Formats: sequence, C-alpha cells, structure tokens
Amino acid sequence: MFAEAAKQIRREHESLSRLDCIAGDGDHGTTMLRTVEKLEGTMETSSAKTLNEILREAGWAVLGVDGGASTAILGSFIAGMGEADIGEESDCKHLAASFEAGLRALLKQTKAKPGDKTMMDALVPAVQAFASAASSGKSVSEAMKEAAAAARAGADSTRDMIARYGRAKFLGEKTRGSPDPGATSIALFFRGFSDALTQMKEA
Amino acid sequence: MRMKKFINDPKNLVPELLEGFTLAFPDRIRLRGTNTIVRATPKEPGKVRVVTLGGSGHEPGLSGFVGKGMLDSSVAGEIFAAPGAVKVIEALREACAGGERALLIVLNHAGDVLAGNIAMQAAEREGLKVKMVLTQEDISGEPGDRRGLVGCVAVYKVAGAAAEKGASLDTCLEVAERMERNMRTLAVAVRTATHPATGQPIFEMGDDEMEIGMGQHGEAGTGRMQLKTANETAEIMLEKLLADLGVQPGEELLVMLNGAGATALMELYLIFRRVAQLLEAKKIRLLRSAIGEFITTQEQAGFQMMIARMDPELTELWDAPADAPFFAKL
Repeated sequence: MFAEAAKQIRREHESLSRLDCIAGDGDHGTTMLRTVEKLEGTMETSSAKTLNEILREAGWAVLGVDGGASTAILGSFIAGMGEADIGEESDCKHLAASFEAGLRALLKQTKAKPGDKTMMDALVPAVQAFASAASSGKSVSEAMKEAAAAARAGADSTRDMIARYGRAKFLGEKTRGSPDPGATSIALFFRGFSDALTQMKEA
Repeated sequence: MRMKKFINDPKNLVPELLEGFTLAFPDRIRLRGTNTIVRATPKEPGKVRVVTLGGSGHEPGLSGFVGKGMLDSSVAGEIFAAPGAVKVIEALREACAGGERALLIVLNHAGDVLAGNIAMQAAEREGLKVKMVLTQEDISGEPGDRRGLVGCVAVYKVAGAAAEKGASLDTCLEVAERMERNMRTLAVAVRTATHPATGQPIFEMGDDEMEIGMGQHGEAGTGRMQLKTANETAEIMLEKLLADLGVQPGEELLVMLNGAGATALMELYLIFRRVAQLLEAKKIRLLRSAIGEFITTQEQAGFQMMIARMDPELTELWDAPADAPFFAKL
C-alpha cells in the first residue's frame, strides 16, 4: 500500500512543490518524496510481522524524516494507527479503528482543525468516510475508495480557504485560490492505498 | 531570476553544510550522527544540558551557538524544515545519558514545536529528565500566537550560562522563561531570498517596498510599505517594540540587531545609531547590545530588531563567559 502511495507522490511531487511556492517555501514535493522513499526503504528491510508492528515502524520512519510539520503529522498519524489493536485479519472494522486511533494520536500533537487549510482537511474526512463505510458493512477496498474520494474532496475544498495554521497562516488572504499542498499529499496517499487494494482484489 | 549560489547537489546541502561547519571548528564542535552538532569537549557531569533544534539554511543559527556557556547540542533539520522527531529524541537521550538533566529550547514554528513535543513525550516515557521552553517573541503575531525569532540566542545565552554555573534544571528553566517573557522582536525585509534546494524565491517583493513583520523563513508579514530610511525604519520598529513590551523610562534594555543575510553591517549600525538616540531621548538605558548575523535566511535583505528588559541576574548571565563558534564572551 505504501508502494502505491509512493507512486502517487513520485508522479506529483513537482506539482506539490509548485503549490507550496504559493504559500510556503516550495519544498513540499521534495519533502514528501524523501518521506515515501524512507517508507519504501523501511518496508523493504522490515522484520515486523504484525500489521501493528509494521504501522509503528512505518510511522517512526516518517518521524525520522527532517520534514518539518508535514512529516511530524504524517508520522504521528501512521504510528498512532499502529497503537490500535488491528488484529491479524485487518478487516474493515479493525482498520477503521486503526485510522481513528491514528487521528486521535495526531490530535494530541496539533491544534489544527478542518477549515484551517492544512493536512487535516483531507485526513479527517477520509477517516470519517472510512469509518462510516466500515460500519455500513462495506468491504475494505470499497471503504478505502470512499476514503480516497473524501480526502480528494477535502483537499480540493482547501482551495477556497485562508490558511489559519502553520507557516502559511501569516500570508492570510494570499493563500486563497490554491489548494493546500499538505492536504493534497494526504489525498494522494489515500488514492495510493485505494489503488493498491483494488489491484489486490483484481489479482 | 535564476538562482546564483555555490552549491553541489541540492539533495546534499545539509550534510555538506554540517560537515564543513564542523571541519571549520574542530576544537569546539563535533557532528554526532547525521544531524546533531555537539560540543567537542562535553560539559562536566552534573550540569544541565541545553539542547535546541531547528531547520537549516539559517547559518550561523542554530548550531553556531553550541559551545561552552551556551548550547550543548543542536539538532539541525533540512533547509527551512524542522528535524525529524526521532533525531531530537536521540539528542535528548544522549544529553541525558548517565542521568543528566536537559533543557530543550524550541522556537515557536509549527514543525519545530511538533518535533519538540513528540520528543518530549518520548523522553517522558523513557524517564529522561527534560524540560522544554518555547520562544515566541515576534510581535507581528497576536500574543499566544507568536513566532520565535532571534531572541532564542539570548535565551541560549542566559540559560547556557546558568547551566554552566551548575544551576538546577528548574532554575535554568526559570531563567530561560524570564528572558523569553521579557523580550520582543520585530523583523523587516526588503528583498527576498532563494530557497537553495528548489531555486524558488521565498516571496515576491517590489523594488521600492519593504515589509515589517517578515518571518524567519521569509513568510510574508502584514505591513508592506514604501522603502523608508534607516532612521524612519528604526523609529517605526522600536516604537512598536517598546509599546508591546511596555517599557518605562529608567528601565534597562538589551538590544539585538540580526542581519537577515544580505543587509550590510553598515546599515545595521545606521539603524543602531538611531535606536540608541531614541532610547536616550526616552530615558531608557541601553544596557547591552549585540549587532551582527545570528540567524539568517540565505540572501534575504532585512533585519530583526530585538529588545529585552534586563534585570541584574539576566545581565550577569548575559555577561558570563561563552565560547561558541558564533558567540563568544571573554
């Protein structure tokens, strides 16, 4: 799943950096590229056996990347997912609980909320969409498809927002008119997760 | 405009920077792991360790302040981006090895604070004795929502001096917080910098403009105006700082002027001259000053003006000996 997410980021990293030029310092794409490369490297050499262990290891790998707030948020989320008891089955309900645990762990670290034009604008709706799909009995791949769509819609919705958190906040009105690069990255991650599950189902 | 910088591979900026930096001061600093600058000669056992973290590209900050009487270690991040929390945890572990205590000084920027908080939670789980102080003195933001600018250097200085004297962790923290509470900074920019890894300008600015309230990473501020003279700029900035800190006649101040990278020392001394005149007219005592480049943003032109209300203890700690590559007092 991380490999598919990496594919998405690799394809889009230049446009992510261009987006970051508008309200940041233009390096978000390269930061995310370093992040997914670290994730892939960690997964290749990992001896983790359970999904919990894998997620914790992946999360701490991201927390080891020098990427400012982006990697701290993404890493806290993934490591936090690993704290929930997912079980060996990794069925839809367990995975939903894991996403929610990731979000809870993240909320301990940041005060950013949806509407502030940050990663949270994609992450929160994606987790909610996954949870509601899970509770209505959908399959993991269906739920992930809905989560990816919610993340994309969330990322797109940041276009009309004014940054209220992080470094971009100080630009105020100038941040309106282009989507948040962090939220866009989250949408790409979920798109990658969804593609991976769809491919697994087809295989 | 195309970027004109002497670089090799943009991917290797930080490792090459840290390697060169440590090679330049072999008697004073060492590189530990990939990103942490530590003292060449560790502090004596039993004294509080002072640690900081922050993005690179701001040289000589922050690693230039590692040395006797100031920092014990500095965890460097990528260009303009905080180091990963894992590296901060490792630095705290090393600082606290053998049961030592540490004070972590963090500048208030989203990524730095996240890395600091995650590291502090890990430190707590591991039973390390660490306290954290946040510097947030940039008056271009509302109170409670202010960035950390050059004032961190004064906090390193007084907390570092207290630690060197053998003060307890609680005392070092108290001193750091008192310095932090009593300082205010305002930045001005007149020309943008280029991000050395991406080649992109950090912000756009007209030839005849200046902007008051510019952040450390060139985040645009809010007060854009026509370029003013040194005297006028000094007056505007000092008035705002004095009002925010509520300085009264008879009080004693430390003033720091921090060049952003491309503003000449000549200009800083013109500004300082006016600051000194204005303080004298207001019967505020200019107790100490520090003028130079402490924390830069590449070739950004502009400067930060910092004022701090000093008491006898803070003054004594400011005057105490220090021997860091970019901050020495005999």
